[in-house]
Amino acid sequence: MSDAQHFKVVIIGGGPAGIGAAVGLAKRGVGPVVLIERRAELGGTPMGYRKKPGGVPTFVEWTRGRVVFGEELAGRMAKRLAKTDTAIRLGTQVTKIDPAEKRLTLLGPDGVRELTADAAVLAAGAREQTPAEKGWLAGARTARVGFTRHVTGWLDRHGLLPARKPVVVGSDLIAYSAAAKLRAAGSDEPVMIDRRQSPSAGFFERLFFWRWTRPDWSGGVTAAGMKGDRAATGVQSSDGKEWPGDGVMVCGELVPNSELALLGGLAVELPSRQLQLARGQAMSEPGWFAAGNVLGGFHGAQWCYFNGRRLAKRIATFLE
Amino acid sequence: MVAPGMAQFGTWQPKSRGRLFYNWPPGACEEALRFTSAGQLGGEPYDVVIVGAGVVGCGLAHRLSMYDLRVLLVDRLHDVGEGTSKANSALIHSGYDAKPGTLESELLHEAEADWPGLAARLKIPLDPVGGIMMAVTDEQECQLEAAEKNAHANRVADVRILSADEIREREPNASSSVRGGLLVPGESLADPFMASIAFAEIALANGVDILLGVEIAGVELGQARHHLVTADGHRLPARRIVNAAGLGSRRLADGYGGGAFDINPRRGQFLLFDKSARPLVQHILLPVPTAHTKGVLVSPTIFGNLLAGPTAEDLPLDDPAATHTTVDGIRRVLEGGSRLVDGLARQPVIATYAGARCACSQGSYVIRYNDGAPGVVTLTGVRSTGLTTSISLARHLVDGMQKELGLELSPDSAALDARPESAWPGWWRRPFENGATDARADHGCAVCFCEVISEGEIRDALDSPLRPRTMDALKRRTRALTGRCQGFDCQVSLAEIVSGHTGIGIAQLTKNGPGSELVAPGQAEVPA
Repeated sequence: MSDAQHFKVVIIGGGPAGIGAAVGLAKRGVGPVVLIERRAELGGTPMGYRKKPGGVPTFVEWTRGRVVFGEELAGRMAKRLAKTDTAIRLGTQVTKIDPAEKRLTLLGPDGVRELTADAAVLAAGAREQTPAEKGWLAGARTARVGFTRHVTGWLDRHGLLPARKPVVVGSDLIAYSAAAKLRAAGSDEPVMIDRRQSPSAGFFERLFFWRWTRPDWSGGVTAAGMKGDRAATGVQSSDGKEWPGDGVMVCGELVPNSELALLGGLAVELPSRQLQLARGQAMSEPGWFAAGNVLGGFHGAQWCYFNGRRLAKRIATFLE
Repeated sequence: MVAPGMAQFGTWQPKSRGRLFYNWPPGACEEALRFTSAGQLGGEPYDVVIVGAGVVGCGLAHRLSMYDLRVLLVDRLHDVGEGTSKANSALIHSGYDAKPGTLESELLHEAEADWPGLAARLKIPLDPVGGIMMAVTDEQECQLEAAEKNAHANRVADVRILSADEIREREPNASSSVRGGLLVPGESLADPFMASIAFAEIALANGVDILLGVEIAGVELGQARHHLVTADGHRLPARRIVNAAGLGSRRLADGYGGGAFDINPRRGQFLLFDKSARPLVQHILLPVPTAHTKGVLVSPTIFGNLLAGPTAEDLPLDDPAATHTTVDGIRRVLEGGSRLVDGLARQPVIATYAGARCACSQGSYVIRYNDGAPGVVTLTGVRSTGLTTSISLARHLVDGMQKELGLELSPDSAALDARPESAWPGWWRRPFENGATDARADHGCAVCFCEVISEGEIRDALDSPLRPRTMDALKRRTRALTGRCQGFDCQVSLAEIVSGHTGIGIAQLTKNGPGSELVAPGQAEVPA
C-alpha cells in the first residue's frame, strides 16, 4: 500500500511501558508519535485489576508510597498520555512488521492498514507461561484450567469465581495475588504448588498477602498432571501425591510477548522467547527498541512506565 | 494450499432441512436448540440412525443424505468429530504402508483419488506436501526396499527411494544421521476438524437430523423397528442402526448382542510447536515403523504449526477416554522427533494433546451387517486412517447396506453434494484477504491475538449451520484459543462475545458441554 501513514515513532502496546515511552517522547518534543493498543482500552495488564470495595489492591505506587488497584494506577498513566499529542489507535493489532523498512501492518476497526516510522518501540508486555511451556505440567485438557488473567477477568468483570477450591500452580508475587483475589472473593483457601522447594515470592511479599491468604503450600513438584474429565478436579504428581480442587490456576512466570519480533526476523532467543538485545534496550535492528516486561523478568507497572520514559531519551538520540 | 473461493461475506444462507438439537439443561443453549423429547424429531422411525458423529459417522451421514431417507446422526459428545477424530496427526494417507489386499488398503486406494475433489466439494483446505520416510540407522535403511515394494503392492506407484543427499536437499534440517529414505508424494495435510464439520453441514442441509450430547444407554430390538434408548430414557425409533461409536462401539454392541470383538484403545500423545517452527520442515517426516508402532512423525500442520507425535501406549480397557498427556510421554515424543529433525528441541511448544485410537482385537475395518439383529451394522477398528477413508468407507457401507440390509436408495434430487456457499466456511477464509471487500467493522476487531481472529469471525462461526455453542467447538472452527498463549488473553473476552451473541448466560458457557463450565458451576453473574 502506498498510502501508508508515516510517523516519527510508533509504539506497539498501550500498557504502562508504552504510555511511559509516549509521555517521554512528548516531553522531548519528538513527534508525531502513534501508539497502538490491541485492546479496546489503554492501560494494559494493570487495567484488568479493577478497583473493588473489599478487593485486594496488588499494585505498588512507589512514588506515593502506597498500595493501589491496578486500574487506578493505569488510569493515572492514561490521563498523563491524554495530555500529549500522541495519536492513539485502540482495538488495533499489529499483525506483521518489516523491521528493516520499519513498516507495520495493522488490523483495526477500519480494516487492514499500513504505517511506517523512523523508530519503533515494542512495549507488548508479557503473558503467563502455559502448562506446556513449563514442561513439568501435563495431564488432561479440561475446563477450569486458567491463568491469573482469567481470575481477574472472571472476578473483576463478571463477579464470577473461576473455582471454589482452587489449586494455584506457581508461587511468585503474581501467584500470591491470584490466591489473595480468589480467597477475598469467597473461595476456599487455595492450595499452592510449584516446582521450587520454597515459594519464589519473598518473605515480605508473602506477609503483605497474609491478611487475605495463607495458601496450603507444597513445593518440589517435579512432574505432575492435571486431573479431571470434563472440568479440572485437581493436580496429581507423578509420585502419586494429589491436590484436589475444582479449578487449576497457572500463575506467574512471565513469557515476553515477543512474537512480532520473532516472526518479523528480529533476534529472539528460543525456546525462552527472550529478546536478544544489541545494547541497552535496542533490538537487533537499528531503530527498534523495547520497553517494559517484554524485556523479560517481571516488573511492576511503575517500573515499566519509567522504563518507557527513560527510553525516550535513547530514541531521541537515535533520531538525531 | 488449496483454499477454495467463497461467497462474499454477508451473503448466505441456505436453510438446513435437518434439525439440530443439543441435549442440554435449560439455559445452556437457546431453547430452540434444546432437546427435550423424542417428539421433536417427529414420530416416524428413522430409516437409519448412525450412532457416533466422528469423521466416519459424519461421512456416512453425508453419503446417506444424497438419498431419499430419514437419517439421524447422534453422538454423546457436544460437537461433531469431538472424539478420536479431533486428536490425531491430521494427515491424508496415500496408503503406501497399508497391508496389501486388505479392505483398508482398498479403501485408501479409492480415497486417494477422491480427496482433491472431495476437499473442493467440502470447501476445506488440503495441502499435498508429500511425505518422506526417513531411515536413521543402517538397519532401518535395509527396510526401505521392502517398504517401497509394499507401497507398489498397494498401488501407490509414485513412491521411490531417496539417498541421504537427496533428503538433505529437500530437508536441510533433517537429522545428520539420516541414511536414506522413501519419498511418498501422496501424503497430504488436512484439517481433521473441518472434515467432520463440513460432512455434517451438508448432511444437515440435506435433511439429516443431528442430536448431540445424547448417550445411548441401550437398544430395544423389535421386528419392524428397533429403539435406541438414551441415558435420559428417550426412545429413538430406528429401522436400521449403524454403530460407528468408535471407542464406545463395544458397549453399544453389547446392547444389541453384536458379535465378538474387543477395543484396545491406544493413546497417542502429540506436541504442537509454534508457527515460528514451521519453516524447519517441508514434508511430513515419518520414521521407519516397528512391529508395534508407526513411530513419532514430525509434520507441518495445515494451520501453519509443526507437530510431533504420536506415542503408542495401550490404555486400560476400563478407561478408554484417558486422553491425558504425561510428562514422560511428552519427553519421548520430543526424543522421537529429534531423531528426525535437528534443532527441534529448541523450538517453543505451545500445546500438548493426546487422542485414543480405536484399535480392535479383530483387526482393522471390522464391518458386520445384521450383527446381532436384522438391520444393525457394526463398524469398528477404524484406527489411523479414518479421516482419509471417510469418503470411500461411506460409499462401501452404503453399498453394503443396500445389499445386506435391503436399504432402498432413491436419489434425492434436491440434495446438495457440495457444502453450500457460505459467508464463513472456516478459519482459512480471512475477511481482509483474497479481495473480500465487504467485511464488517467487527471483522477488524481482533479478539484472539495469537491467531488474529476477529470478533466478527466468532459471530459468523456461531451462526454457521451446526450452531457451535461450546468453546472447543468454536476453537476448532475459528482457531481462536489455539495459539501460543492458549487462551490466556482471549478466553474471557471470547466468552463475552459468545454470551452476547447467543444470549446464553456467561456462567453457563462450557468448554465442551455440561459439566465443563468455564467458572465454578451454580453462580449467577454480578456484572462490574
